[in-house]
Amino acid sequence: MNQRTAVHPVQETAPKPVLVSEFGRNIWRYKAFYLMLLPGLIYYIVFKYIPMYGVIIAFKNFNMMDGIWSSPWASPWNKHFLTFFHSPYFSQLLTNTFLISFYKLVFGMIPPIAMALLLNECRIKWFKSLIQTLTYMPHFLSWVIIYGILLALLSQSSGLLNQWLKDAGGEAIPFLTSTSYFRSILVGSEIWQNLGWGAIIYLAAISGIDPTLYEAARVDGAGRMRMIWHITLPGIRTVIIMLLILKLGHILDAGFEQIYIMYNIQVYAVADILDTWVFRTGLQQLNFSLASAVGLFKAAIGLVLVLGSNKLAKRWGEGIW
Amino acid sequence: MKRMKAVSVMLAVIILSCSVLAGCSSGNSSNKESSNAPGGSTANSGESAGAIKLDIIETGNNLPTPDKDFIKQAIDKAIQSDLNLTVYASGDDYKNQLNVRLASGNFPDLFQVPDRASLKQFVEQGLLLDLTPYMDKLQPVKDFIGDESLKKTTMDGKVYAVPKAPNIPYNTYWIRKDWLDKLGLQPPATTDEFLNVVKAFADQDPDGNGKKDTLGLTSSKISAFAPIFGAFGVGDPNTFYVKDGKLTNSLYDPAMKDALGYIKKLIDTGAVDPEIMANTGLQHQEKAIKGQAGIIWIDWPNLSKDQFTEQIKKVNPNADWIQLAPPKGPGGQYDGPFDIGGTSGIYAIPKALENNKEKLQKVFDLLNFVSGQEGSMLVQFGISGTHYNLDGDKVVPTELMGKEAGFTWLYQFTGRPEMTYLQTKFAPQTKYIEFANSQPRIQILNGFLTNPDGYNPADAGRFIEEEFVKFIYGKNPLTGYEGFLSTLESSMNFKTYMDASTKQLEELGYGK
Amino acid sequence: MVKSTNDRIANAVVFVILLACGLVAVFPLLYVLSVSLTPFSEVLKNGGFILVPRSITFDAYHKLLTESNIPRAFGVTVLVTVIGTIMNMAITALMAYPLSRKQLPGRNFFLMMVVFTLLFSGGIIPTYLVVKSLGLLDSIWAMILPNLVWSFNVLIMKSFYESLPEELFESARIDGAKEFRILLQIVAPLSVPVTLTIGLFYTVGHWNEFFQAIMFVTDRSLFPLQVVVREILIQTQQPLENAENMTPSETLQMASVILASLPIILVYPFLQKHFTKGMLLGSVKG
Repeated sequence: MNQRTAVHPVQETAPKPVLVSEFGRNIWRYKAFYLMLLPGLIYYIVFKYIPMYGVIIAFKNFNMMDGIWSSPWASPWNKHFLTFFHSPYFSQLLTNTFLISFYKLVFGMIPPIAMALLLNECRIKWFKSLIQTLTYMPHFLSWVIIYGILLALLSQSSGLLNQWLKDAGGEAIPFLTSTSYFRSILVGSEIWQNLGWGAIIYLAAISGIDPTLYEAARVDGAGRMRMIWHITLPGIRTVIIMLLILKLGHILDAGFEQIYIMYNIQVYAVADILDTWVFRTGLQQLNFSLASAVGLFKAAIGLVLVLGSNKLAKRWGEGIW
Repeated sequence: MKRMKAVSVMLAVIILSCSVLAGCSSGNSSNKESSNAPGGSTANSGESAGAIKLDIIETGNNLPTPDKDFIKQAIDKAIQSDLNLTVYASGDDYKNQLNVRLASGNFPDLFQVPDRASLKQFVEQGLLLDLTPYMDKLQPVKDFIGDESLKKTTMDGKVYAVPKAPNIPYNTYWIRKDWLDKLGLQPPATTDEFLNVVKAFADQDPDGNGKKDTLGLTSSKISAFAPIFGAFGVGDPNTFYVKDGKLTNSLYDPAMKDALGYIKKLIDTGAVDPEIMANTGLQHQEKAIKGQAGIIWIDWPNLSKDQFTEQIKKVNPNADWIQLAPPKGPGGQYDGPFDIGGTSGIYAIPKALENNKEKLQKVFDLLNFVSGQEGSMLVQFGISGTHYNLDGDKVVPTELMGKEAGFTWLYQFTGRPEMTYLQTKFAPQTKYIEFANSQPRIQILNGFLTNPDGYNPADAGRFIEEEFVKFIYGKNPLTGYEGFLSTLESSMNFKTYMDASTKQLEELGYGK
Repeated sequence: MVKSTNDRIANAVVFVILLACGLVAVFPLLYVLSVSLTPFSEVLKNGGFILVPRSITFDAYHKLLTESNIPRAFGVTVLVTVIGTIMNMAITALMAYPLSRKQLPGRNFFLMMVVFTLLFSGGIIPTYLVVKSLGLLDSIWAMILPNLVWSFNVLIMKSFYESLPEELFESARIDGAKEFRILLQIVAPLSVPVTLTIGLFYTVGHWNEFFQAIMFVTDRSLFPLQVVVREILIQTQQPLENAENMTPSETLQMASVILASLPIILVYPFLQKHFTKGMLLGSVKG
């Protein structure tokens, strides 16, 4: 089970057929490690893996009186998946979900990294911590509040921005009710909300970089850009890749809460996603089986993407496992 | 590659064994057993030791803590109970909570059923107690809500829940009288006049600030046009009603196209709130209070309660909102429809309570108590002598009623005599209440319906709303209306729904 | 040190961009704060959008602090956050350390087990059953235990531990240090920034948590802050069809938002100064 890619050779290994006794000895040797893992494992088993049997709801006609085990099986077994696949909106939902999520991933990944780099380059201590605190604050506003603020700015009839446009002799723009702007607003407001919060993890990674590297580079006369490019970015590469892999796993989660609060019938065509549909169709009508089936569908796709991207990342020695 | 596979297999094994574990032992012990917090029982003072605890959940808000909850204390005293009422402000949160509790067998003793679709589901799953055999024990409840009301919670001839006493309609158009006066206009009485006024409110600067920043009409969603549909003699989209002795769905009503044509004209003036379909919560009300719109379709509490009249006056002392009778049109004169199958709440008892006769009796006692003279007065107005005084038959509120008895409605499990109740609690608003109640309305029957299998109301609802928006915003021409109907039938299974609904309503004796 | 012109220009550019970001981030909060301090009719009079409070009033705060459940809920939230975060951190670190050792037999299996739960979950009903059968309903543990370990945080922590130089462990092992001591005395002090980061994630997570409370707690006296604030906010989102329903004004809503988020926002500046560099170097050499 040894990692061949490990940089440091580990003394006891030999990729020979592993004998049971040797395996046992190995385990005994690491008993302290297993002991450390134990509380966490108990948690995972009790609160994550035992409830996992709930996924079978997806294949049953869930009846609350009978409970999960005794509810009758769906017939055909994939009935709830079919309900979903056969919805007239299936392809639109999938497209919307994927696109919104993809935009959020692509356009949302860079700004926090850039923010962290900029903060790292900032030499004025008090200013750095001030900006850090300010940009971190939007994370604490719920989407209800953010939507209220967006309305105050972007509303076609009374929004500040549209007032200015009208005062300048222009036409008011229907930002929130037009299919052309809605996705940009979703992505933009998410980036805004997440800018400072997302940077925190990169800042922590940057602080883990060995400062002697910078000193050496400075002695060599390297400029700032070169140091960022050759020291800082490689130093946080592991974290970036890891976040990317994990985000890929959630590619079909486009942000239920945000969209549920912000969308309206006029933008459904570009904004209705799997989760909002499940919410309207499944949960509001008490159809747990349907909700579970869609959840399983999303997770399966996520799993494939995580496994695939992790494998790819491992080629560069950066996989999660 | 191989390793990955092995890992997946092992995971699968773990999951399986976990599931088996969970299946076999419901009381799986763990070191995490905590010294459990004492739960809700702390609130109860020791004296009512023999009292039976009743767990009740519903939607609502502003419930005080048990020590300040004088209604709970009074009921507990009257029927020897220990009520534990939990309310949820968000309907979604409530549904979640109700569902996990029902699914895990942790039944509340009395709970609100979110809507008729849920009622049907609960009944089919055998979760609810059939109240039919107990009806004689619930005589006071029956007397209070009326026999007719029980139709709303009857399925296959059996009564599965208790609906609240009938409510009355609240919504009407409201219009800025001062704006009308300023522009020298009369309150519009016909659809043509309505169109003119809406247009004038946007174009002729009724607020006199020299800017074109006002709107003629606002509200939330398609119901903004409810009285317009009424003027054409049709109900809101996808509503059932009896017209000329025949059961009709508004989508198939020939007058629907004309109504849509008129609404399109209205929108074409550019005077209707462009965000009318996006307004949620009270956004439209805020626009009205801010002085942005001259006409709004809204319920009287949200525009005429003291809290809001105060705001209106502060923003603009001259603002004068009055109610507007529905404009007359080619199909008559009807305000927004009124669902005679609807209720403002349904309460059910879990079937599991069948085996606990004592507790069941206590729930009946509770329902009977809040339906009887003494209990009903309590949950309507509070404590006699403290929150109100009786002057003959008339209830005279004290100052304390407004201050601390605002939550008593949470205990009105069987409702209240709506009209007299509102007139007492909202004396200054009496004329608005009466006005809204006395408008002619199309009586719709959707409250009696349950959805058939194979019909997805969420998809169909979305399709209807989207297409309607396209018609009234001119994105699709009205000549495509028949095409819309046939798509609805072919891809949304609407035919099934129509057939099932017609059958259900005919069984109740409508349209025959 | 001589500063080149280039360097000065770069500093200025960084300054300007950061300032812009700061301003964009701060104005909504300014709005929330201003509304919370202004009588609502004033707000409406000004078209509903103000950035500077006019005719300041503390009525909303007074009302929330004296009449609502907020003070009590605040206590619950602080309790849950403190106990929860300590437990989270301990167990997460205990998991992350062994998982960061690449020679550990079964490591991939455990990692996969952690990642798997990021994607798959059994749903709320079976989780509720577990919480119920452990007797945790209606206790603060229902708000702590079901989310005791976040897979995401374990993975972050593990990857930081992996980046520590291997020689460190070698030398410690030669000393005969036990693994627990290595974790406590060598690894933990060296990873203060990541520990704080993860700690922050957990703290904020507990602070903002409401779903578990809504699902597992029915006793009002155990409701945390976010549930109470949510009740205030939701009332205008989903107005109940009831004439008596008192709609909280926007002033009150915004005041509740400020009360709920200010304490946690204020935590951050205190953590920032610990995100310092050079710690690693010092201890390895020393």
